[in-house]
Amino acid sequence: MKGQIALGLLAFLALMGVLVLVGVGEPNRMAEFTAAYDSRQIETGASLFEQSCRPCHGPQGQGIGGVAPALNAPDLFDGSRLAAVGFSGTLPDYVRGVIAAGRPVPSAGTNYPQRMPTWGAEYGGPLRADQVDALVAFVLNWEGRALAGGSAATPAPTGPTVGADIGVALPAGDAARGKALSEGGLGCTGCHVLAAVGPSWPADGGEPGVGARAETRFQASGYTGKATSSEQYLFESTVLPNAYVVDGFQPNIMPQNFAERLSAQDTADLLAYMLSLR
Amino acid sequence: MAIFRLHIPMLDEVKQKGLRPALKDKWVDVVTRVTAGLSPDDMRGVLRDDTPGRPNPRLTPHAEGFWLHMKPTYYHRMVDGLYPTFRLGWLSTFFGVFEIVTGIYLMIYYTPSPLVAYENMLNLLSNVPFGQVMRDMHRLAAELMVIVVVLHMLRTFITGSYKKPRQFTWATGVVLLFVTLVLSFSGYLLPWDQLSLWAVTIGASMVEAIPPEVVGRNVNLLVRGAPEFGANGLLRFYLLHVVALPLAGIVAFGVHYYKVIHHGHSLPPEAEKVGEDTAKRVPMDSRVYFMPQILTRELWYVSGLLAILFAAAAYLYNAPALEPHANPLITPLHTTAPWYFLWLQGMLKVGDKVVWGLIVPGLLTGLLLVLPYLEVGPSRRYGDRRIGLSLAALFVAAMAMLSYMGTPHYAVSTSPDQEAVAELLPQTHPGPLRSAPWEDLAYGSFEASAWAAAPNATLQDLLREFDDVLTNVQSAGRTDVAGVMVIEDWQTDLKKVTLRVTWTNVPDGTAGEFSQSVYLHRNGNYGEGA
Repeated sequence: MKGQIALGLLAFLALMGVLVLVGVGEPNRMAEFTAAYDSRQIETGASLFEQSCRPCHGPQGQGIGGVAPALNAPDLFDGSRLAAVGFSGTLPDYVRGVIAAGRPVPSAGTNYPQRMPTWGAEYGGPLRADQVDALVAFVLNWEGRALAGGSAATPAPTGPTVGADIGVALPAGDAARGKALSEGGLGCTGCHVLAAVGPSWPADGGEPGVGARAETRFQASGYTGKATSSEQYLFESTVLPNAYVVDGFQPNIMPQNFAERLSAQDTADLLAYMLSLR
Repeated sequence: MAIFRLHIPMLDEVKQKGLRPALKDKWVDVVTRVTAGLSPDDMRGVLRDDTPGRPNPRLTPHAEGFWLHMKPTYYHRMVDGLYPTFRLGWLSTFFGVFEIVTGIYLMIYYTPSPLVAYENMLNLLSNVPFGQVMRDMHRLAAELMVIVVVLHMLRTFITGSYKKPRQFTWATGVVLLFVTLVLSFSGYLLPWDQLSLWAVTIGASMVEAIPPEVVGRNVNLLVRGAPEFGANGLLRFYLLHVVALPLAGIVAFGVHYYKVIHHGHSLPPEAEKVGEDTAKRVPMDSRVYFMPQILTRELWYVSGLLAILFAAAAYLYNAPALEPHANPLITPLHTTAPWYFLWLQGMLKVGDKVVWGLIVPGLLTGLLLVLPYLEVGPSRRYGDRRIGLSLAALFVAAMAMLSYMGTPHYAVSTSPDQEAVAELLPQTHPGPLRSAPWEDLAYGSFEASAWAAAPNATLQDLLREFDDVLTNVQSAGRTDVAGVMVIEDWQTDLKKVTLRVTWTNVPDGTAGEFSQSVYLHRNGNYGEGA
């Protein structure tokens, strides 16, 4: 019985010892948990960005000209964009506000044809508050790289644009230049190569590439456009995307303003590149 | 003459006896009142194991105090050893009280609303001193309690202690088993993460199957508060967990323990003649008194168990890491019910939801409840109960088998390619890829088959594991299976890792592909189990 009393006391002392040990480590543990949680918010934000934001803001937040501004850009982080918009709060508040509430009207000084949709559940969007916070954490994590240069600003279109008449004659195209254009500021690859937001350009899972598909599609039944050749079909798909929407995809996802952004040469180059994908 | 006189009896005593003797008498008086009958000297005697005086003062607290009024003053020497009780009933009680205490601590930081419950959990883990260890202890003790309660029931069956006259004690015990299981289960939902939502959804979907449809639909509405879990369902489970079930448990425990004491702890089966019950007739020389032996032992058990539980929760055991926020639209691959309901999940895989999810478990519960009225043979001896004990062993084996069948390893049809990716990137726990050292994830594209060429041991291990599970994708319908892991620099301190499985479908030669990406931050800290 003495042994039991001794054991009991010993166990009690051990309990107190562990209590103190754990207690001493608590501030550290809580800080670690907080750090880990903040990191995981960034991870969560990255995958939400991939699903929801990438089609317009580009895979690396570099923006797509005429569609959505760059996020991975110095002006967002050095205060000049906030100043241009006339927002006097903090950057996290600005980003959170824009994501949660969206943009019913374009910001001062910009004229993007599409509006930023509402994402926050409190304004009728699909994302919970913690998901919006995760996106904010992800966007703000671009700060270091953005201030060190970030992505190049989206180049503005130069010279006369090609327009929406698919009957016009185009100059000879250069497929290599078209490829570079599609991977650059136009952002085509974001939806047509890297993700399946739009029909895949390269051959994919039994389907031939976009160049081969174009040859038959304008003659297929159910086609609603006016193209009479594969080149015209791709031209039409680029500048009048809603003239015919491929089965399984939605209208209005593709930017509607390439007619006002592309020069005739750019268009010809892009078409040459697309036709080369078989 | 004073108009008003303050009378302090203590002062009279000081006047009469002097200060020190008066204080000493007061002390003795207070201690005797608090202990309901034991003076400081008596207590010292208890701790020293002195022979008690006559009449034995150590019996007074049982007679006069509330807390010991049900506790027997002495036990039979034959039930005092580890055998036959294994202390399982005592342990169940200990865990029950332990759950109440840790539960109250957790309640302080919790609000049962889907809007804030998950945030409350984050706050508990990131901002409340001892918050994590309390959660771990609450969960650890809950799991242990389920184990201990089930073992307690098995023990009672094996020693035949549930036979006449203790049938009703057994029935209250079955109620307590049920309360324990549902308590544990209802607590699952409260963190409001993916694990919570889906583990409980599996359980709750059972009630939806109750025929006819109108009953099932309405019972489901009662349980979940809406067609799917949401604010009402969470509140209902919370109230079940913190009010209704503990209350039911305490009442059932009162009856159960009263009955145990009323009939006496049953002696080992071989100690009595067949059909005899001598538990209440304890010869003088076989008595082990509560004070001092049992009391000392129970006190040291409590302090020992507290130390073990606390240390285990602090250093060895972690409650499952908080998963992403509950999302009714995304079902994680490999969702399972809590382990003690896996047998039920296994039954559901056997056949019809109504038959195997409701009728069979319902019959089993009913059978358990009336078991002592079915096995009415007078003998408690093992040798005389071969059939009953064999059936019980068979039942335990069947439950183990069904539990295995409840796990994702058995008869879950998912695509082997998704399974292969989930091996490295599981959806219900961190898994090898997230736990791997972040620095070792070198940028590049790595073929699983060429794992030996990867730049470091971490990647080699991951790729080899990937390569191993890819053999499961290979089948009569799929050839040329290959796997690639692509690691990209995505942001400051953030890497994107993509696992891609490609194959050729045999009949038509078309290519198939499945890929999944994960973003990993330098400080994600998955290796810590947090």
